[in-house]
Amino acid sequence: MTDEQANQESITRRSAIDQSARFPVLFFITSASAWLLVAVTLGFIQQMKMHNPGFLDFSWLYFLNYGRSNPAFMTALVYGWAIQAGLGVAIWIMARLCSAEVKNPITLIVAGHFWNLGVSIGVLGILLGYGTSMEWLAFPKAVWPILFVAFSMIVIWLVTMFFRRQDNKVYISVWYILGACFWFPWIFVTANLFIHVFPGSALAKASTNAWFTSSVVYLFLVPIGLGVAYYLIPKIMGRPVHSSQLSYYGFWGLAIFGGWTGVQKFMGGPFPSWMPAVSGAAVIFMLIPILIVTVNQLMTLKEDSKVINSSPALKFTAAGITFLIIFCILSALGSFLSIGKYTQISFTSIGYQVLAVYGFFSMVIFGAIYFIVPRITNSEWPSLGGMQNHFILSVYAIASLIVIHFFGGIWQSGAYAKHDAPLENAIASAKPYAIGASVVWIVIWISVVRFFMNLVSLIFRTGRREISSKFVGHKKSIA
Amino acid sequence: MTSFRKFIFGITASFFIPWLCLIVIPHSKMNAEIEEWTDADTGKVNFYPLGTPNIFRQGQIVYAQEGCASCHTQMIRPTYMGYESWRPDFGKEGTIDAPVRIRETRLGDYDGERFAYLGNQRIGPDLSNVGYRHDEAWHHEHLYLPQSKRDFSMMPSFRHLYEKRKIKGQKSEFALSNVEWENEEEAQNYEVVPTEKAKALVGYLMTLKKDTPFGAVVATESEETDVK
Repeated sequence: MTDEQANQESITRRSAIDQSARFPVLFFITSASAWLLVAVTLGFIQQMKMHNPGFLDFSWLYFLNYGRSNPAFMTALVYGWAIQAGLGVAIWIMARLCSAEVKNPITLIVAGHFWNLGVSIGVLGILLGYGTSMEWLAFPKAVWPILFVAFSMIVIWLVTMFFRRQDNKVYISVWYILGACFWFPWIFVTANLFIHVFPGSALAKASTNAWFTSSVVYLFLVPIGLGVAYYLIPKIMGRPVHSSQLSYYGFWGLAIFGGWTGVQKFMGGPFPSWMPAVSGAAVIFMLIPILIVTVNQLMTLKEDSKVINSSPALKFTAAGITFLIIFCILSALGSFLSIGKYTQISFTSIGYQVLAVYGFFSMVIFGAIYFIVPRITNSEWPSLGGMQNHFILSVYAIASLIVIHFFGGIWQSGAYAKHDAPLENAIASAKPYAIGASVVWIVIWISVVRFFMNLVSLIFRTGRREISSKFVGHKKSIA
Repeated sequence: MTSFRKFIFGITASFFIPWLCLIVIPHSKMNAEIEEWTDADTGKVNFYPLGTPNIFRQGQIVYAQEGCASCHTQMIRPTYMGYESWRPDFGKEGTIDAPVRIRETRLGDYDGERFAYLGNQRIGPDLSNVGYRHDEAWHHEHLYLPQSKRDFSMMPSFRHLYEKRKIKGQKSEFALSNVEWENEEEAQNYEVVPTEKAKALVGYLMTLKKDTPFGAVVATESEETDVK
């Protein structure tokens, strides 16, 4: 077979894979994006409600109280948007990397509907007053089996795609995606069974809750995000990753330390002191694999900085990776007692979550969406300006939120630590930061609306149509 | 072993150990043993923890449903984490000028509860010992309109837990006194009373007293007379 024939066959194969993945991947991406719009709307409302309970203070809008809108926002963001979009992107990347067509698109779409049903019942349940007040598990107790079954239905097909792979050599992104899909069900079932089903120590359930949020970040969101980055960066740059050996060390570092994190949220709390100490140490050690991987990827980007200017997908991915570095450094700082005592149960703790889910994960997923959707729909993004606005507004918003949450939380905890000052000082201390965050949430909302309108416009074919996307690297590609 | 088997073994083993150590074992082991101790002054025999949870569980359900843990903690940390245990608004007695320390919360304080709502953020004051600080009427009025009790409060109104009804015969003993009526006619003929959920929630708040003595000597007063 000549080079040209092999090339033609490769293009045909990729086109067949894109066609087979089209409906399920597009379904996950669009429903996740709709959830993102819901999430950022709730995000703005809960942020306003935090410092100004008079905002939308009508009797019939009692369900927007902070205690309900904050967990509802988090649930929509994590489950409705992040996990669903992550799965959609993972399906496409697995299909491409395993060179395997998506065999059961209907099953995947049905599972996606179940997932959306679960998230809808969850978010509505929280707003209507059936929530659990547990971080990232705030949906009513009965919802988790629906989410678990839906997730399993999706992940089984991801794994079967792996077993149908054409090539024996497995690329690092496949490892990351498989790891994430293996760990998340274990983490999810553990948390829900040990908290809601099995009777046991009340404090152990609280530490399980804290462990859950951290494990979902380090053992689902981070692997999926890194897997996506490891695919996109070399693909768009048209050159291999700077050092592939380091990427494997990064994976195993994540695997070893990831499951230990989380309980540092309750350092100094009524726990045996080894628990928060071990978690804190794990978060600090986590810097090693994360920095290995992210510096690896940023160095690949640096080799040809012109490409990044012409690729919105690459810009988003690079921004996401940068925010991951910042998240890990701030988390590590927060694991030391001297700083952790100010950040652990303050405004900063929400900031960490928003940075991980929106700052890192969502930015990488946006990059993937901007890359994947044209390929599966054979259409171009209608508004380049929309993509650029989305990028600039997102980066400024996230950077502002990092500063606001980190310093706001420290200031707030510092005010509570001044035991000889009146309560008014402590409560008023967070107010300016909360007001600043509300302004930033307006910016995030605008950026998400731009993104969503761009996506809807593309799907309803009101944009330009082009056979081949301009974003594929012209040099030898990896899949 | 094929490399896929090695991969599966690796990701299983690396997760299994923390899962076992942080989740499974603490779940069954992390309960405070009931210890007997004798008060040196009175000779009375006490137990810590009490053996049964002393919180009102029905109210704790309402606490969770309203998302109170999003703003309120129930965790007082030891002094190496800060001086919050000296705050009069976290404790049960004392003033800013003459503080009286409340002890940090311990393992046994949450014994028997279904879930320890330690809190996600501390926007409002800690509630571990709120049962000492206010009476039921104060709590109801505060929940109905927080700004009527503390004008700087950022707490939302929980008036959906209260019902406005026409006075039948005599005004109810539970009727709130801080309602802002629209006109005189309403003020005379209507009252706002707590629903069962509000009563349960306040009942729970009144049982939040996480300072059961456990026998060791705990400093409650500052040795220094000058408060910095």
